[in-house]
Amino acid sequence: MRETLRELRDIKAALDQHSIVAMTDPSGRITHVNDKFCSISQYAREELMGQDHRIINSGYHSKAFFRDMWETIASGRIWKGEIRNRAKDGSLYWVDTTIFPCMGRSGQPTQYVAIRTDITERKADAAQLTRYAGDLAEKNKELEAIVNTLSHDLRSPLINVQGFGKQLARACDKILSAFAEAGDGGVAPSEVREPLELEIPQALRFINAGINKMDTLLAGLLRFSRLGREALSIERLDMNALVAEAFSAMRFQLDAAGAQVRIGPLPDGRGDRVQTSQVFSNLIDNAIKFRHPGRALRISVEGRVEAGQAVYSVADNGIGIAPEHQARAFEMFHRLNPEGPAGEGLGLTIARRVLERQKGRIWVESSGEGGSTFHLAIPCAEPQPGAAP
Amino acid sequence: MSRAGALSPEILIVDDDEGHAILTRDNLRAAALSNPIRHFSDGQAVLDFLYAPGPAPHTARAGAYVLLLDTRMPRVDGFEVLRRLRSGPALPNLEVIVLTTADDAGEVERCHTLGCDVYLRKPVDYDKFAGAARRLGLFMTLLFPPPAGGG
Repeated sequence: MRETLRELRDIKAALDQHSIVAMTDPSGRITHVNDKFCSISQYAREELMGQDHRIINSGYHSKAFFRDMWETIASGRIWKGEIRNRAKDGSLYWVDTTIFPCMGRSGQPTQYVAIRTDITERKADAAQLTRYAGDLAEKNKELEAIVNTLSHDLRSPLINVQGFGKQLARACDKILSAFAEAGDGGVAPSEVREPLELEIPQALRFINAGINKMDTLLAGLLRFSRLGREALSIERLDMNALVAEAFSAMRFQLDAAGAQVRIGPLPDGRGDRVQTSQVFSNLIDNAIKFRHPGRALRISVEGRVEAGQAVYSVADNGIGIAPEHQARAFEMFHRLNPEGPAGEGLGLTIARRVLERQKGRIWVESSGEGGSTFHLAIPCAEPQPGAAP
Repeated sequence: MSRAGALSPEILIVDDDEGHAILTRDNLRAAALSNPIRHFSDGQAVLDFLYAPGPAPHTARAGAYVLLLDTRMPRVDGFEVLRRLRSGPALPNLEVIVLTTADDAGEVERCHTLGCDVYLRKPVDYDKFAGAARRLGLFMTLLFPPPAGGG
């Protein structure tokens, strides 16, 4: 008996250290409060005894909220909930509350024990998060507006430059043919012939090349910015089929480059089918573009499971990427080989974004001369033994 | 009333960019379209034209209209034009083709919601633009087929 009492005293002492505790009679009048209750509510014990909890009511919750609480505990069931209270100085605090009805022999509650935890900070954090989410949504809207500007307003003048450039070219042709029709006497003097036949067409070629480049960049930028907002559909991916399809879609370019392709057995992964497939297409496209002029192109894809991730390695024997350039290979608009084949300079940036969004990553290994190997890691199809749950 | 003009609707280009309007017109002409063409530099101007008081021009003419509508314009934009055409008095001899620079699925969706099913993107590449204009010309002859047993 003494043992039990001692144990109960210990538990009560521990409880008083941890929680805000109050006891009331069946009508809700306070019969006991611990120090934590007094300190959070800022009321002295004498001020609280005999009062009911309306003394700390903040007016935040509805009548129905408290009615539900009373119905629950009066019928002998435990009530749990979060309550906003008002301290003596008017400041507000939130408590996570459990009310335990102590039932008498008659089946009626004889008293209630309320145990509470201060969650004011957590509530403030949650409110802060909601504000951040709102700010973020606002920023996304702004981004949307920028994307719209890119897609329409910046392209609009390009259409004019290119279109009227073409009209100038046609006008030159007309002038030349008018001279030709006029016969011998109408041969254009060389001062006119040279600008018409050489200088203007050359200027127009440069103008057009510039416009096309700009159009490609705008399209790429647009694609990249949309990527972050597109919904992903994560599913189990049969990577053998997915990679084989990516290669067969580029059969024509691969054959034209005389490429030898080898695809090893690949473990299944988890990711977005369309976007993952686009990453492989992009890597294949790069392998073709940056093949070594002096040797027949070989591309191999191998796969393995490593630390709970499926890792796929796409290796080529192309011109490679010098070690000092590898870090920049994934940067936006960074073209490693400006003299080389044209591209929007976004393929690898997009690939990295795609993989990051589906909890994967991409990195490159290259000795420079011998070709490049791109490694892609995505989650495994099956949870791996030993991997974090 | 003669339906002889039914095959040759008047083309109303609505574009705030005069250059685009000229290029569209020249391309339609190069595609051997001989329809009359009229240019409006914003949405309000074309609505004023279509809903002008008095004998409405769209019914006064035996022919019909094809609206080549840009989406982004100051004041009354293309979407607003589509909205007002939907809520205003019906114009039976009017077809709307949205012609825009935007490459945006959301914009296509908006056009569809507003009842316009023909959406053409202005390509920056001039040859593609010419191609699009040619297809547009072909399409227009299908919009207003000659009346059955035509005369």
